[in-house]
Amino acid sequence: MPGGDAPLLSLSWHPVPGAPGARIYPLIRKIDTISSNSYLIQTDDVILLIDPGGLAEQSAQLALVIEEIREDHDRPVFVFLTHAHLDHFFGTLCTPAFAHPDIAVFAVQEAGAAALERGDGKLTQADLFGQTISPVRIGLHLITDERSSCAVPIPLAFSNGATVTITRGQTRVGPAQERIQFGAGPSLEVYHTPGHSPDSICIRMGGLLCIGDVLFAANPGIAGLCGWDQLALIHSLDGIEALIADGGIDFILPGHGRVITAADAVRMFVAIRSDALALENIAELNHERAIETAAFAEDCMEQVNELFTIMAGRLYYVSYVMEELGEDDVAEEVSRLIKGDVIDELLEAFRSFAEEHHKRSGVSIHLALKAGQVITKLERSFDGAELAHIIDPALARRAARLLSDYTTMLRGFCPPSELAECDLVRHLEALVTGLSVPSCSDDDLLSSDDDDSTFTRLLLRRIGMQPLLSDVEFSFSAAEKHIVAAVDRDDLTDLITYILEDLVGTGADAITLQINRDDNNAIITLRGTVCTASDAMKTGGGFLGRLCDRAGGTLTSATDGKQREYTIRIGGLI
Amino acid sequence: MEITTATRDGATILSVAGRIDTVTAPALEQAINKEIERGNRKILLNFSAVSYISSGGLRVLLATAKKLKNPGDKYALCSLAAEVNKILKLAGFTTIFFIYPSEGEALAGW
Repeated sequence: MPGGDAPLLSLSWHPVPGAPGARIYPLIRKIDTISSNSYLIQTDDVILLIDPGGLAEQSAQLALVIEEIREDHDRPVFVFLTHAHLDHFFGTLCTPAFAHPDIAVFAVQEAGAAALERGDGKLTQADLFGQTISPVRIGLHLITDERSSCAVPIPLAFSNGATVTITRGQTRVGPAQERIQFGAGPSLEVYHTPGHSPDSICIRMGGLLCIGDVLFAANPGIAGLCGWDQLALIHSLDGIEALIADGGIDFILPGHGRVITAADAVRMFVAIRSDALALENIAELNHERAIETAAFAEDCMEQVNELFTIMAGRLYYVSYVMEELGEDDVAEEVSRLIKGDVIDELLEAFRSFAEEHHKRSGVSIHLALKAGQVITKLERSFDGAELAHIIDPALARRAARLLSDYTTMLRGFCPPSELAECDLVRHLEALVTGLSVPSCSDDDLLSSDDDDSTFTRLLLRRIGMQPLLSDVEFSFSAAEKHIVAAVDRDDLTDLITYILEDLVGTGADAITLQINRDDNNAIITLRGTVCTASDAMKTGGGFLGRLCDRAGGTLTSATDGKQREYTIRIGGLI
Repeated sequence: MEITTATRDGATILSVAGRIDTVTAPALEQAINKEIERGNRKILLNFSAVSYISSGGLRVLLATAKKLKNPGDKYALCSLAAEVNKILKLAGFTTIFFIYPSEGEALAGW
């Protein structure tokens, strides 16, 4: 019996609080998208399996436990799904113990039941995960329209020999509800809580409430799944919260992850509601969008990898120089500003995952979600504001923007692109000037020598911020004094910076940037001489190409071995 | 990652092939340290077959620079692929140690 805040241990039997005679056997998995947790409950009258999971071995493992307890005391078996997503039931489809309605009767909310009975690949998410499902027979449709106006108990008999009584009700606090009575033992309450999916239900016995995937319903890569509904989700969160506030619920049993206390769940609902409120008009997360997001993930991670390695390297460099100057404490402090080891491990984990994914022709959504997971951790591994005092703030800013753009896309939005009138000549001139002069001059350093901490800060900046164009012969020219077009300034700034970094980094000794007018187009040409070949040239549909699209232009590139040229064409001059 | 060690014109050349990442960087550091402990203080790292370097790899390069700064010590890298050169250049490492286009050009200066 869970006492106080003690969790329900996985794979062992516990009494169900508030439900005399009932016992529960949780199967708690590490969180993933392949299979849910499962909860097996037995009373004197019935065996209830809630969410048998997405894996055949998990279903088979549960079938064995059911077989054991039936040998001890035979009772009818019901399989309840908190919703009909693949990861909650797919494992049963190839487990004989669940194949016959004479043994196990499936109970699913009406919308999910209909989807399963027609083998719907969209609502079950089978399409998204590259699977097909055959129609599944559902013996008990829950929270049906048919019973919505019937307040008297309805007796039902099933092929597995069970007779149950269902009583429809509306809870005082909101969600439509049905009470299912199996014999004389404790009853099961089912509440309709759509949002994550139209058929999502919460299932309560005594002090335990199974809530399916509500805790993850506003997460990137989950919000927007076929059937997801923002307003319904917010309404359901209100309903579940009110149920908890009504008292008697001790533990929340989620579809994924560990069991939590009701109080913790209420705290989490605040964040979920806030996340959900921000998700108006998100795109549906379907197979096509998963492919697009996974492609963006790989492009993004390649750039993230490079940017983080450069940022970490720059800090190590500053630390090295400070150590040479005898400032060991400062050197130590600087090297701690970025968790290089953690970042390396995260990036390596994604690379291995992606490599394996391609080898096995994996499912796009898995790669997209893995990138999302890595990016969330990367965001916690550096403090952009702190780094910006020492290394080029544009590096940290671009890294942060890349991470945020990816999360935005995974959440179902397009990375923001705000086209606005911009004088390209002035804007780019200011950009390259900033990339040519040190951010801290000799005068700045000399004027601060009375103040140790200011001097150290300026010295760090002087060492860490090396102007990108300081060692190359650089020329800027424009055909006219003003060439005005609609662009996204941030994206254009990033694009030009990435290209200049590529030219400098691959050894160009002279770089030119020209802005010309061609009919109604602005043509920005960046040319580097004596560059070695580099992957950045793969601009077609790749990272730079996409960035240029968002900036408001189109990008082409060419190389003749000794000279490399990038051309950005921006239409619709103002 | 594979490391082949050779001696030429009094210098120890470690030719590295593969990725220098979080898993392989310690092996590179170990190989370099072994040579330094043997008294070989002219170290040239040939990176012609290195396709990637992580921040852990960069740290190994800096740690080696710290060990080889006595008068007479020599430490350089050569034959870098474009992507690796870019990382070293943008991280500021090209001001700490020399990078040569080839082994021959590196050793000519030693």
